[in-house]
Amino acid sequence: MIKKKILIIDDEPDTLTYFSAILEDNGFQTITAESGDEGIKILSKDKPDLITLDITMPEMSGVKYYRAIHENEEWKNIPIIIITGISDDFRTFISTRKKVPPPAGYLSKPVEEHELVEMVKNLLK
Amino acid sequence: MELPYQQYFDSMPCYLTVQSPELKVIVANQKFINEFGDYTDRYCYQVYKHRADKCDFCSVAKTFEDGIPRTSEEQVKNLKGKNISVLINTTPIRNENGDIVAVMEMSTDVTDIKDLQKKCKENEEKYKMLFEEGPCFISIQDKDFNIINANKLHRETFGSYLGCKCYKVYKHRNEECYPCTVRRTFEDGQIHAHEEFVTTQDGRTINCMVHTAPIRDIHGNITQVIEMSVDITELRELQDQLTSIGLLISSISHGIKGLLNGLNGGIYLVNKGIELDNKERLLKGWQMVLRNVDRIKSMVMDILYYAKDREPFWEQISVIEIANEAYEVVKEKALELGFELSLDFDEKVNDFDCDRKAIRALLVNLLENSIDACRVDKSKENHFVTFHILENGKDINFIISDNGIGMDRETREKAFSLFFSSKGGEGTGLGLFIANKIITAHGGKIEIESELKVGSTFKVSIPKRSIALSSRDFKIS
Repeated sequence: MIKKKILIIDDEPDTLTYFSAILEDNGFQTITAESGDEGIKILSKDKPDLITLDITMPEMSGVKYYRAIHENEEWKNIPIIIITGISDDFRTFISTRKKVPPPAGYLSKPVEEHELVEMVKNLLK
Repeated sequence: MELPYQQYFDSMPCYLTVQSPELKVIVANQKFINEFGDYTDRYCYQVYKHRADKCDFCSVAKTFEDGIPRTSEEQVKNLKGKNISVLINTTPIRNENGDIVAVMEMSTDVTDIKDLQKKCKENEEKYKMLFEEGPCFISIQDKDFNIINANKLHRETFGSYLGCKCYKVYKHRNEECYPCTVRRTFEDGQIHAHEEFVTTQDGRTINCMVHTAPIRDIHGNITQVIEMSVDITELRELQDQLTSIGLLISSISHGIKGLLNGLNGGIYLVNKGIELDNKERLLKGWQMVLRNVDRIKSMVMDILYYAKDREPFWEQISVIEIANEAYEVVKEKALELGFELSLDFDEKVNDFDCDRKAIRALLVNLLENSIDACRVDKSKENHFVTFHILENGKDINFIISDNGIGMDRETREKAFSLFFSSKGGEGTGLGLFIANKIITAHGGKIEIESELKVGSTFKVSIPKRSIALSSRDFKIS
């Protein structure tokens, strides 16, 4: 069985290590990106089955990339889980959303193992 | 006295007496008798003032001497002992030869008028005091913007105002301000308010809330405008502080959640390492735990430092020694990242008054900032951080330069004021804010020069001898 591939985008290296460890331990393949730009580069080469996107990255870039991914024909069907730092981030995110559908799910830091795994498993059923 | 004259005499609404050259009362009218009693064979000073001897200044006596009618004000006492204020007019009475044989004294009761005058004066004093002592700047301007009156606080703060234009005194300008609340009030007769920045005579800038109101004459025309300004500098500073605290709280929440997530990651790996007996995982996880705990520790320490306003613990410390201590703390990091970190100092520098821990923290913070600026800058191959120390008159200068990512104008201007971290999650955002606090506590100052993608230079000047200490010594001796 081919393992599902998950792209993790976050500017904190420790978060990348954490999330990939959890997901790989639970039967998924992971690719990591330290920035939105890096994430986009990877998307162009290697289409994942799910993306986790940190929207607390500086200068609202998380939101910018979310929109960019959704507006691309090739990538718009990939479920995206957004990772927030404070609940305010999510509210800001929702309010800046214009004609872009809501994310498949969201989690707020600090993230627990079971939360992430359950959400990913549900979305990839 | 003949009958009609007697009638007139008695019906006059004032006290009438005729006195002999010895100042004895010869004739008095009924009103006088009612008020002051029987006068027969008595001296005027006895009857009027219950005195045993002549008054020091006696208008009657003077009139006897020179024949000139006089007017004077006196206080007299009536039968009941009540004090009456009187306006006295004296007139000489001559015989056929022209000699002065008697003097007539006419006294009008002006007690009520005197009372009113006194009340009026009291009120005037009261209003004057309110104007003078008011805890705000009050000035009165005429239509040409000349200040015609100003209260004590105004005079003390802005200097003399006589014949000066208000815009010159308040703002050191040569022409009318825009918008001018005084002009608006002259035009529409309404009260206007505006927040302004004004400059004192010793060059300080004060943030004021200015109110202007019209002053009308009896015809209702606006002849003057009164301007009242309240100093709100402190209030605005407190507001800024509250805003900073609000920002602090939100940025802590943000930062801490990231660190807690990293900590979670470390714990996860440690647990898995133990469960699967995988030493590599365990070690990796433990590193993550240590790293994130360290960062949380820094953040908490920064917050605690921020929360407490502390007096420096003054010591005489060798400049070179403390510079070296700071250098030692950061050199590993620079080495790891492959950056050059150089330290050089003027041989002459000796020691200076400072709080050792605070200055060390300050220097470490600035050096770490420079190292981080180099780390995030991807535009250059080689990065370096230089640390220069030199003596500059009464100050020691610490100059820290880097060729890292630099700052644009907006970032540079915000650098000290907010919980601003442009380091992409690494910094706590408090570093420069606290650095500035430490510098201020030492009586020093800091300058930043920076250009985006080129690099930054932070120049800190600290006085060699603490002014706070030297003023304390002065008090003791």
